[in-house]
Amino acid sequence: MIVPLFLALYSVVAAVLLPRLLARASWTSRAPRLAIGMWQAAGFSAVAAALLAAISLAVPTDLIGHGLARFFEACTELPDLSLTGVRAGLAGAALIVARLAYSVADVVLRTRRERRRHAEMLALLGRPDGDLGAVVVEHAERVAYCLPGRRAQTVITTGALASLTPDQVAAVLAHEHAHLRGRHHLVLAGAEILTRAFPRVPLFERARAELARLVELLADDMAARRHHRIHIAAALVGLATGRVPAFALAAGGETALTRVRRMLHPHEPLERRERLSALLAVAGLLAGPAALVAVPGLTSFLAHHCHGLFS
Amino acid sequence: MKRGLGELESTIMDRMWAYHKPASVRDVLEDLRKDREIAYTTVMTVMDKLHTKGLLKRKPVGRAYVYEPVASKEAYTAELMRDSLAASGNQAATLVHFLERLTPEEATALEAALQVFPPGGRKQ
Repeated sequence: MIVPLFLALYSVVAAVLLPRLLARASWTSRAPRLAIGMWQAAGFSAVAAALLAAISLAVPTDLIGHGLARFFEACTELPDLSLTGVRAGLAGAALIVARLAYSVADVVLRTRRERRRHAEMLALLGRPDGDLGAVVVEHAERVAYCLPGRRAQTVITTGALASLTPDQVAAVLAHEHAHLRGRHHLVLAGAEILTRAFPRVPLFERARAELARLVELLADDMAARRHHRIHIAAALVGLATGRVPAFALAAGGETALTRVRRMLHPHEPLERRERLSALLAVAGLLAGPAALVAVPGLTSFLAHHCHGLFS
Repeated sequence: MKRGLGELESTIMDRMWAYHKPASVRDVLEDLRKDREIAYTTVMTVMDKLHTKGLLKRKPVGRAYVYEPVASKEAYTAELMRDSLAASGNQAATLVHFLERLTPEEATALEAALQVFPPGGRKQ
């Protein structure tokens, strides 16, 4: 009984407390790639723990943790939950898997349909520019984006081209190419799948917002390898100003401000010690749920084979 | 270079938008034949497809149809941009960036911050 309880508790803590902890961390903008890995590991960890909690409820605990019952006598004293427990566990596991599967199919199909429709219209409305390596769309609004997928395309409007210098255009396109090369749409799709499968879970909602921000920072950093940071910053300002309200995703431009400041005043990269502890945290998140399952098994193994230790 | 029917669709839509008046398959065919060899049935098939897709509307005149774009190119472009950038949209479908709108104060502050740096820029 103790294993599913621990796992469920772990899952709840991960879903509620982790986002607060992670969102407050200031190192994330210094190491966006690591931060992306951290959020993904957190999401995986929470789901894995919930799933394992349900499974360990269904599979008789003495199979995995034979010795545990003896250590926690109290557990064996509990009313016989086996049948209800098995049912509840199986139902819980099936529910989690079904929601995930449905959400994956939903997001994948919808995304593919939207992209295909978009690409079709783009073929009619845009003009591929070989020199830029992008599709140019005649439109006054300053917009640059990329359309991921098998036939990935980078799109820029004439409005954006007119308001940016060639250096800035190159920087913007490098940013878009970084998104495509880094498969950032998969990061966002993963976050989308989790929020859809398990709505209103703080961890997943927060992760989606943070991952959207972090892939931008990461793409800025990738673009900064080949382009002057000042050009990226200037392009950001050029694109973020003079936009009509209907086109604004987030008024206030908090992310734009951070990104411009980041480009102008680059932060120190993480120190080795900081990086190491972040990596350890990622490893902990990935291994945590499995470790919780293994604990009683280990204890029982020890109890069976190492009597000497306990007597 | 776009190839095949996709390219022809794009070319025909561009002509239709440029005419600013209804045109029959014959009209479009004659226009296209100034640049290339092309069969009547090919043009008819593509225009029929564009009609099915909802890009062209048509009405019978005599024994043939005359076609006309449903909306202007600008209107389609605006719709495409708005659709892909909609806040409720699926972020994973089109990765759209630089979307925040700055307040005038923020914009001024950022422009000022940029002025400090030499135009040549610096790496890192």
